[in-house]
Amino acid sequence: MIDQELLALINAEIDGELSDRQRAELSRRLLADPASRSVRDEMHRVCQALDGVAPVEAPPQLHSDILAALPQMPVRTSKARWAMPKWRFAAALAGVLLTGTIVFRVMDSQEQAASEMAGTLAAPRAQVEVDVVQLGQGPVSGRVSLIRDGATLDLSLELVASSPVDVMVAGGGHSLRVNGVAGPTKVALPGFAGGSQPLNLSFLMAGHEVARATLSEPAGH
Amino acid sequence: MRDLTRFSTFRGRQGSRSVSRPSDGSPNQLFSSGAVLVKEYDDGTLVQRSLNGDRAAFEELVVRYQRPVYNAALRLLRDPEEAKDVAQTTFLNVFEHLDDYDPSYKFYSWIYRIAVNESINTLGRRRPVEEISGEEIDHTPGPDRHAESEQTRGAIEGALMQITPELRSVVVLRHLMHLSYEDMAETLALPEKTVKSRLYSARQLLRSILVHEGAI
Repeated sequence: MIDQELLALINAEIDGELSDRQRAELSRRLLADPASRSVRDEMHRVCQALDGVAPVEAPPQLHSDILAALPQMPVRTSKARWAMPKWRFAAALAGVLLTGTIVFRVMDSQEQAASEMAGTLAAPRAQVEVDVVQLGQGPVSGRVSLIRDGATLDLSLELVASSPVDVMVAGGGHSLRVNGVAGPTKVALPGFAGGSQPLNLSFLMAGHEVARATLSEPAGH
Repeated sequence: MRDLTRFSTFRGRQGSRSVSRPSDGSPNQLFSSGAVLVKEYDDGTLVQRSLNGDRAAFEELVVRYQRPVYNAALRLLRDPEEAKDVAQTTFLNVFEHLDDYDPSYKFYSWIYRIAVNESINTLGRRRPVEEISGEEIDHTPGPDRHAESEQTRGAIEGALMQITPELRSVVVLRHLMHLSYEDMAETLALPEKTVKSRLYSARQLLRSILVHEGAI
C-alpha cells in the first residue's frame, strides 16, 4: 500500500537525505511490495526528467532591454542611514523648522527679493570637469571626461561606436567595469580618490580592447 | 580574457555558485587586459556599490542573474514573451527597491522571490481563455517530435502547467534552479517543512499526470 510515510521515504531518497534507519525501512518496504517499487521507480524517473530540463539562454536583447528600462538616475543611497527613528525625527523637525523660517521670513520681509531668498537657501552644487579626452578615429570615438562633484569623482562617457562598448576603469588600487555603454553615460567612481593618481580606461568591443585613455585630476582641484 | 557574462550560471544544489565567490565582500577572479585589472565582486558588494550610485555594479548584477531569472519565469509561465517581461519587471523592481533589500538574506533568494511573485501575478492576469489546460497540451508523439528527450521535455513542461503555480514554484526552484531547501524556504518566505511538503505533493502529482499520459 502506498502511504504518506512511504512517499516521504522515497522523496528523502531522491533528495539524498535518508538516514541509515530510513534506508533500511525503505528497502524492507520495497522488497515486500512490488507496487511500492513501481511508484519509487516512477518518482525517480520524474525527478530525473525534471533535473534533465536544460536551462535556455536568455534572449540576446534582454540585457539591453532591462538596462534601457531602468531609470536614468542612480539608485538612491541606502535607506539604512534613515532607519533610526531618531534620525527620522531629527530630519522631520529640521524640515518643519526650515519651512517655518521660510514662511516667517517671506511674510516678515515682503520687500526682500525672491532671488535673494533662493540664493540663500540653495547654493548650486559645483560640478567641475577636471580632465577631458577625445577618442580619435577608430572603432570607438567620442568624448570622455572626469568630473569632480564635491567629494566624489564621476566619469562621463559620450561614445560613438557601432555596438555597445564595455569600459574598464582602474586607478589608485580600485577598478570597475561598465558594461554595454551605448549612449551618454555618467558613472560614479566611489573609492577613486583622484588627485595625482591617473585613471586608466580600456574600451572593449566584443571582448577585444579597441582603445585606451588616461584621465587625471590636476593638482589644485 | 574572461568574459563576465559567462558568470550568469545556475547554482549548485546546496546554493553554492558554479563560480565561487568570497562572502566577505572582497574581490576575486582577477584577470588582466593590458594594464587594467578587473575584479569580480560578490553580490553584497555589488548591491552596496549600486546603492552608492554605481550603475555599472547594478549592470553586473543584471548580467549575473538575467539568465536564471528568465529561466525561472519561463518554466513558470511557459511563454517566452511573458518570461521576458517578467525578467524586465523583476530587475526594475530590484533597482527601485534595492534599499529595501536585507543583506542578512541571500541576494539571489530575494531576486528569485520577486521573479516568482511576478510570474504568479502574471498568471493571475491571464484571461481564462489563455490559460493552458490539459487538453491544450500535446503529449502525443507527432511526426516532428521524434526525439525521445524532446518528447519527455515537452511532457514535463505540459505536466508542470497542470499543477498549481504554488506547487510549480517549488518544483522550478528545486529541480530547475537547483536550490537547497534552505534557500527555497528563504526565497518563498515559507518554513522549510512547508516547502518540503509542497515539493513532495508536486512530485506525486507530476508522477500521476505523466504515468496517466504514458510519458514515463
